[in-house]
Amino acid sequence: MKRGVVKRVSEGFEGRALVSGGSVSGGSVNSAPAGSGSATSVPPGPAPHGGGTPPPHVRRTAVPDLAWLPPALLLLGLGLWAYALPRIDFRTMDDYGLLDRLPAAFYASLLVLTAGFLVSLRRAGTSPGWPLAHCVALLVALKAPPAVLYDSVRYPWASKHDAVVNTMLGVGELRPNAALSGNMSAYDQWPGFFTLNAALVRAFGVESTAVYLNWAPIVLGLITLPVLVLIYRTFTEDWRLVWTAVWIFQLANWVGQDYLAPQGFAYVLHLSVLAVVLRHFVRPGSAGRLRDRAYLDPAAAAVPPPTGPRQRAVCVLILAPLIAAINAAHQLTPVMLCAALFVLSLTRRYRNYGLLVVSGLLMLTWDLTMGRPLFLETLGTLRESIGELTENSRAGYAGQLTGPGPELAGRANIAMVLAVVALAGIAVLGRRRLTRSALPLLLVSIAPVPLFAVNDYGGEMLFRVYLFGLPGAAFFAAAALVPATAGAHRSRGGLARRRTAAVALPVVIVALAAGFLPSYYGKETMYYTPPAETELVTRAIDRLPKDGLILATSGSFPQALHRYDQVEHWFFAEQELPENEKMLVDPARYLADGIPPGTTAHVVLTRTQDIYTAGEGLLPPGGFATLRARLKASPLFTTVEEHPYGIVLAYTPAPAASRPAPATPATSAPGAAPATRAAPAPRAASVTSASRVASAAAATRSTPATPATPVAPAAPATSGGTP
Amino acid sequence: MNLAQNRIRGAVAVSGWVALAASLLPGGSPLRWLPVLLFVCFGPGLALLHPQPHGLRPGARLEAFALAAPISLSLATLTATSLFLVESFSATAFLVPLAAFATVVALMPGLPLPAATRGAVERTRVKRPSGGGR
Repeated sequence: MKRGVVKRVSEGFEGRALVSGGSVSGGSVNSAPAGSGSATSVPPGPAPHGGGTPPPHVRRTAVPDLAWLPPALLLLGLGLWAYALPRIDFRTMDDYGLLDRLPAAFYASLLVLTAGFLVSLRRAGTSPGWPLAHCVALLVALKAPPAVLYDSVRYPWASKHDAVVNTMLGVGELRPNAALSGNMSAYDQWPGFFTLNAALVRAFGVESTAVYLNWAPIVLGLITLPVLVLIYRTFTEDWRLVWTAVWIFQLANWVGQDYLAPQGFAYVLHLSVLAVVLRHFVRPGSAGRLRDRAYLDPAAAAVPPPTGPRQRAVCVLILAPLIAAINAAHQLTPVMLCAALFVLSLTRRYRNYGLLVVSGLLMLTWDLTMGRPLFLETLGTLRESIGELTENSRAGYAGQLTGPGPELAGRANIAMVLAVVALAGIAVLGRRRLTRSALPLLLVSIAPVPLFAVNDYGGEMLFRVYLFGLPGAAFFAAAALVPATAGAHRSRGGLARRRTAAVALPVVIVALAAGFLPSYYGKETMYYTPPAETELVTRAIDRLPKDGLILATSGSFPQALHRYDQVEHWFFAEQELPENEKMLVDPARYLADGIPPGTTAHVVLTRTQDIYTAGEGLLPPGGFATLRARLKASPLFTTVEEHPYGIVLAYTPAPAASRPAPATPATSAPGAAPATRAAPAPRAASVTSASRVASAAAATRSTPATPATPVAPAAPATSGGTP
Repeated sequence: MNLAQNRIRGAVAVSGWVALAASLLPGGSPLRWLPVLLFVCFGPGLALLHPQPHGLRPGARLEAFALAAPISLSLATLTATSLFLVESFSATAFLVPLAAFATVVALMPGLPLPAATRGAVERTRVKRPSGGGR
């Protein structure tokens, strides 16, 4: 690598800028095997942006100029990806989701893109375009296949959000106090993301968000990327570190919160607020030695210049719409934001109580006005969940992951979390000067952890805490893999670190890519539903009159919440496995006992429900088939429509006099089953409360006990995941 | 402010009206959704951050680019939510205020985020030969 620098300098090509580029990546970890052994004639460049000019006449054995390599590898990687794309046989997904349906060319494309990225790091300082292009390519390669290929909505939860947008467009107003079944009114209480999409649907002139929602991960990823760069640049001047952190962030972001959902949107806004705060809210006289180059880690950036009260006031004005939009869109993110601002205010550098107060007031204002119903309900249940650390930090809603794909995804989730945290820990302990200057980033990443003590967020808290900690974790993980090179040649230890990192960086990012795929696509069978099946569900719900009741095992299938403002839902298997085993003894009687007299009720059982209830461990092996067979054979239900991928059954109650007593205690009280997970006070009929609770949990995977609610539903890829 | 900067300001100022005009095209056409998407994602934010008396300093370019989308989408979110709250929602009612906002603020000096006025200083600093790091 250094030889490359020398060569180019001696040729006088591109002069200083190139030298600085070489020095930026000088002794670059990825290239060290080729160049580190003999690279001694030119000391590492002192400054990242062109400082210092090495001796002009030193010339060593020429090494290939690798400037052509990043674009070549990028094109090759994207070519392989494009070649692999039509060969992904997603329609026949089975035990391992998309994993064993991805052709070898797809995996090869990821390896080639990784290689291209590593090579592009060599010139990260002067040619940031290539690392950027590779990061964008990675985002597309990892997350675009479903958007390009699928002929239906990916993620049942995305479909639910589509239903929310359709409902808002249908009624043309917000009804935060409507008390809809399944706590669905929460969507009207934090409606920002849905009103935005309603506006886009109308402005685009499309029928619904279903037309574009599979592209949400790409769009959100593209918006997040420069914000991340902005944050990382605040703490380091080493572009290799910036891009490696972005790369690691993308690989470690398997949490699946970037679908068409308010949490993904609010997350980007949250990061944007933090970026402005970290760059523009430094108090005068607080930097101390953190602007002294001799003290700082060679890769660290000096503390940003301080700002006066007037400048900070202008920044608060700019941030106000962002913070207001976060509050309008999502209920958990403002809590995370306040936690982050609070920990920042504990430091001398960022002691800005004004912004913290503004954020807190905006949150309280929203919670006590638009979000009042759910906010008060949540406060009422906090007493039960507060302090339940182990319960709050568990993953998923109920049941254990079952089957090769989901189990592999669960294990991969754990491995990914541990790997990123371990790497970050190495840098935090090993590069203490960098840790000191980047302490604010570390603090905002740790800030959400205490929320474990408050609430489980429907089994989602673990994933949310991980997600909000990820920007800092990725930065420090990158710092563990991209060592400082200045002065490294002078010490044996420095050289050893560089050599170790030269191997560790490619190995780790390939391993993270290997972990991402099962984490993100291991349960993909649950997330792709053929259009015919979705049409079956739509027909079934359209058949019901207003105030009819739709029954299904879980709410995790597309169109589950179609017409949710007119039809009651009861997702009767969204409960612990033992309860479901009791239910399976006589499912017809169990359901019949939960249906209020005089209600038109239809049961919809589909292939996607079968996969979901089995994969999430809600039903025992073969339980779904048993359920379907017993309901079909029962005189209490008649078949309306039947296909290999699903069945619709209508409830045909027997005359009251002939109704037998409930077969088991459990079947007599279906509404009580969900109550094991903190059901709210029942409303009118038992089914109403049952469906309300069950769908609150299933549809949103936030139990009523969660503070933040239903709107922040499940993390598809992860939820139910098992860390 | 030079010609190129004026062109950028002009483009940002009219972008909302172009999006509004595009919304008259047949639904789902790329000629319709692309200008609308670009405007909603970037228009108001760029209008707010970009126009500086002497153009954006290097340190502020990344900032303006990175924050344009979050700020634009925030304003779009608040606009759409407000319209639903007053039961006056329509695509036109959504786009007109945003377009008017972008036009007005694009013609005014940009909001003085500190980086916008400090970039040159930062650049000078990091160019010091003695500055270590990478």
